[in-house]
Amino acid sequence: MNIRKCAMLSALVMGSVLGFCVPAIAEDVTISVWSHDNDRPASSLVADYNKLDTGIKIEYREVPFDDLVSEALRAHSTGQAPDIIAIDNPEHALFASRGAFLDLTDMIAKSTVIEPKNYFPGPLASTMWEGRQYGVPKATNTIALYYNKDMFKAKGLDPDKPPRTWAELVDAARKLTDPAANVYGIAFSAKGNEEGTFQFLPWAQMAGASYENINTDGAVKALDIWKTLLDEGLASRDTLTRSQWDSTGTFNSGNAAMAISGPWELDRMVAEAKFDWGVALLPVPEEGAERSSSMGDYNWAIFSSTAHPEEAFKVLEFFVSQDDRMFGDFGLLPARADIDIGETGQPLKDAALHVFLEQLKYAKPRGPHPEWPKISKAIQDAIQAALTGRMSSREALDQAAKKIKAVLG
Amino acid sequence: MKGRWSSIVDGKGFDIALVALPLTFLLALSGVPLIYNVLMSLQQVDLFSLGTFWRPYVGFKNYSELFAQQETWPILANTAIFVAASIVGQFLIGFGLALMFSTNFPGASWLRGLFLVSWVMPGLVVGAIWSWILSGDFGVLNYLLRESGLINGNIFWRSDPNYSLLGVIIANIWLGISFNMILLSVGLSAIPADLYEAAELDGANAWQRFWTITLPMMRSSIGAVIALGIILTLQQFDLFAAITSGGPNDSSNVAQYWAWELSFRQYDFAKGATISVIMIVFVMVAAFVYVRSTRHEIRG
Repeated sequence: MNIRKCAMLSALVMGSVLGFCVPAIAEDVTISVWSHDNDRPASSLVADYNKLDTGIKIEYREVPFDDLVSEALRAHSTGQAPDIIAIDNPEHALFASRGAFLDLTDMIAKSTVIEPKNYFPGPLASTMWEGRQYGVPKATNTIALYYNKDMFKAKGLDPDKPPRTWAELVDAARKLTDPAANVYGIAFSAKGNEEGTFQFLPWAQMAGASYENINTDGAVKALDIWKTLLDEGLASRDTLTRSQWDSTGTFNSGNAAMAISGPWELDRMVAEAKFDWGVALLPVPEEGAERSSSMGDYNWAIFSSTAHPEEAFKVLEFFVSQDDRMFGDFGLLPARADIDIGETGQPLKDAALHVFLEQLKYAKPRGPHPEWPKISKAIQDAIQAALTGRMSSREALDQAAKKIKAVLG
Repeated sequence: MKGRWSSIVDGKGFDIALVALPLTFLLALSGVPLIYNVLMSLQQVDLFSLGTFWRPYVGFKNYSELFAQQETWPILANTAIFVAASIVGQFLIGFGLALMFSTNFPGASWLRGLFLVSWVMPGLVVGAIWSWILSGDFGVLNYLLRESGLINGNIFWRSDPNYSLLGVIIANIWLGISFNMILLSVGLSAIPADLYEAAELDGANAWQRFWTITLPMMRSSIGAVIALGIILTLQQFDLFAAITSGGPNDSSNVAQYWAWELSFRQYDFAKGATISVIMIVFVMVAAFVYVRSTRHEIRG
């Protein structure tokens, strides 16, 4: 099938080179797109694109989250890779560094649709490898502090003054925790997978650490605070094995007074939470300290093995041109600062959105590094070792630093 | 020519063809991946060399590196504890139930059939349900234990390193009971009833009948159930994925889950293969026991 198409195309190209006037009978070029989306943008965007008559037809394949990277690797190593893929941003460097993704720097420079300067720096950085651009951010997200205003009022806390520093956060959590009513002060996730890293890195980064230098005093202090939250019962011990989605579920059901999570919760919260809630920026180590946050969601990339780089890039341009629909139609934050997201008509959601957009300014990508999964594992191990009391925060982070150093070489 | 053809249709050739066919399947479907797996554990496998066959040969480097990692021994110990505890629990409860149902009280057969429900449920569903049951704050298990006065505070089955492995073991025992029960029921029903009648006439009490008739007659069934149980327990993956993800801090991690984690989370395919090879050795021991115990079943 593919070979035949290639043969036909090359015959057409040869034909035109030889000066034959080939009338427009050319078969549509087919561009394959893989993504993990469910009902989110890709499938709708593909359907919209296929309605336009551009001579390019998109074939869409939905790949389950857990299989996306391994499927892509397998496809790439056997020469069956799709033309375009949406890849989780920390995995981007893995492919880019090995030449699996097409270097788009020059095409983007010529493009009138894709303007790198429009993007938030974090998402943009996750598409870069050694100064070249290997993709465009598809959407973005980050985490912030959700809090239950009704509970704040009930415990004598000012619902308009959510905690701004770590000390205030712990203090508020102590006041809000109510074991008799099954209420924890705060819910977050310290799960031993990428989610744990996603939640912890912002804390470490705010305190001046980075994945390359994870065992700083500030990071130790951050991990100590997490330990305090668990040891004093301000957060459930199940924080260690619960995903962000499940943790925030306890907030929605009124069993946690605060929760650290992302905008992907907004629609569910609007539907489920039977109380007044708000969103605040992640608390910082102390007043005036540098802010940071983590950054999630996917990037678009074109595989270097594509037979139709020009057409694939046109498809990419179309996707980017639809970025302004990202929040309204799909509930995702566009990765761009130049898009004005209108009101949704839901005041709690709109207010939350502004906080998330503010928080996005401080979002940092994980990595980028081709060995990110190993780096992330070292950080997860440290979090879990410290929180289960197997090691002190210092020992755990020292060990993580050692492991990461071995990976970085 | 005619002689060879008749040999294929009826004779030595037919026998060989009968053996060759399944053997070919076995070699193609199990043998080749097995050898490939062993080969992979001796190579340096990289994300992008996964699709090629010729990769740098590193000898036993993967093995020595693996055993130098501090989590290796605890995880292997967890695997042993998980297998042993699951087998003991599944077998004792399963055997007890099989004996109970063999008394054929009214409704015994359909009640026994109901037990199979747990066996046909997908592992991930069982895992998700147990994950709720074992949840620290709102779990049913904690509620029952609290109400019956056995515990005062909540036990965080999934998140307390002292309990996390036990939590998965409990779920796995529940999952395996019906399998044990059905297989042992079949064994029990194969014991001729007149043996018991004769023993009863000779004045043997229930315990003596169990000890001198049931157990010896069940030897091969028990051997098969335990051997299959070991193999199935070593394959148990879904429950770990659904309940603890091997955490916290590897306290409930076992070899099979770790192999997956290394291969498909950290993309360290060679290490994943190395652990699989170590597990193959264990499974072979269990398979040997299984073959030995079912040997008696061949009847002329």
